Amino acid sequence: MKSWTRREFGRLTGAALLTALNQPKARGQAKARVVVIGGGIGGATVARYLAASATAIEVTLVEPRQSYATCFFSNLYLAGLRPFESLSHGYEALAKQNGIIVVHESAAAIHPAAKTVALSNGSKLSYDRLVVAPGIAFRDRALEGYDEAAMEIMPHAWNAGQQTRLLRQQLESMEDGGLFVLVAPPNPFRCPPAPYERASLVASYFQRRKPKAKILILDAKDSFNAQDLFQDAWNRHYPGMIEWLPAQFTGGVTAVDAKTRSVITAGATFKAAVANVIPAQMAGRLAQQAGLANRSGWCPVDPVTFESALQPGVHLVGDAIIGGDMPKSAFCANSQAKACAFAIAADLTGSARLPAHLFNTCYTYLAPDDAFSNAISFKPVDGKLKSVISFVSKVEESSEVRRQAARAAEGWYDAFTHDVFG
Amino acid sequence: MRPVARSAIATGLVLLFSQSGAAAGPDQGAQLAATCASCHRLDGGGTGIPSIIGLGEERLTNALLAYRASESPNHIMHVIALSLSDEEIASVARYVAKQGSNPR
Repeated sequence: MKSWTRREFGRLTGAALLTALNQPKARGQAKARVVVIGGGIGGATVARYLAASATAIEVTLVEPRQSYATCFFSNLYLAGLRPFESLSHGYEALAKQNGIIVVHESAAAIHPAAKTVALSNGSKLSYDRLVVAPGIAFRDRALEGYDEAAMEIMPHAWNAGQQTRLLRQQLESMEDGGLFVLVAPPNPFRCPPAPYERASLVASYFQRRKPKAKILILDAKDSFNAQDLFQDAWNRHYPGMIEWLPAQFTGGVTAVDAKTRSVITAGATFKAAVANVIPAQMAGRLAQQAGLANRSGWCPVDPVTFESALQPGVHLVGDAIIGGDMPKSAFCANSQAKACAFAIAADLTGSARLPAHLFNTCYTYLAPDDAFSNAISFKPVDGKLKSVISFVSKVEESSEVRRQAARAAEGWYDAFTHDVFG
Repeated sequence: MRPVARSAIATGLVLLFSQSGAAAGPDQGAQLAATCASCHRLDGGGTGIPSIIGLGEERLTNALLAYRASESPNHIMHVIALSLSDEEIASVARYVAKQGSNPR
């Protein structure tokens, strides 16, 4: 099997060594096996925290790619403010520091009755518990004409990677005075403020390099996340550059024509110099194939253990889940993943389960030196994840406060990606 | 295969084993500190977000109590601290205070 990453053990610190040797329970017993499918933020965090939480658990992470590029902060790359490489994170540390077995293959199928995962290379992994973190997929036929070929002309750039680079190339080669059309998706979708952060940061790039360019946001919605903060910032930083048209005004985007790079609404056709089409979303393909998603297209879970409501023994975290107030964000995926890892570890080792603490925190850029933040805590209530306390930055904050938030965001990215990828 | 401890402190991941060795699973302080690690590097490195390493238990406790009492100066820490009971604040402060500063 060519792409097994060799399991290597980290250097032992004195304290960790002592603790490990003091764990008689783990010695001489077969390890419980947890397989995690998907090496995005949710999957990598579950794997890392499970591996660290009990020595009696063997963790295998199944992820076809050799590295993961973060969607968060990719808008800074699109604006020319960050190199693409800075968004990319490998899995070496998960193997070396945490002893996780990283298998660079795709999961082809899940067999919950047999407790096995079939890999695309024909081999099979057995598990005691399975965690699936499949991320998002785009809904078929949500927009007429938006097929895989059209994505290469009008990129979505909603999974970071080649699509993000393509959009950056198009923005760079666009002539001054061109129209950038951004099609914003219906709820729910990955990272609610991100389409509007993208418009803000692309505007900052245009202001520096193509000051006559315009941005048109064609939205599937009539309102959006932190709308007052965005619209205030657009007036202050980019007067006259960004126009936002809600669905009630356009009748909604119904189709695209890749040949003419046009976006078609109920009443008009908008011809773009560069078009970024972010389609309607649902849980990743594997979740759909494995019967983990319900008719909404998303995956219902127990809000305490993140076990699937449809398939016992299978847990889900991240953007693919539904069932409450938690938005689809990397921070939520990371927070859910920790709660899920602790719940699985408690079950497998027979220790007590402690109350979980679930949060979303997010920094959003309005301009390179102007960011806002929000924080929300969540609790399981009646089988759903309910928002308990929520605070967000205010429109009237000083520019110094916003500058500090932009600096904090940089530090957050560094700490957060360390937490997830080592 | 022998049980193996990972170099948790050196790599900045929360050391999740119970300090007492009594329980097989991660203890309360360690689980709570996992939330800190989403923004604060527990190896003491990083910039932009204040380090919480090397502050001592009392200072950490007092900071969390102050954040819990007021939205100012930081609404993110206010939300985090509001979710913590007195016992949980004591527990996470005790745990984080034990993490050594060991940036890579």
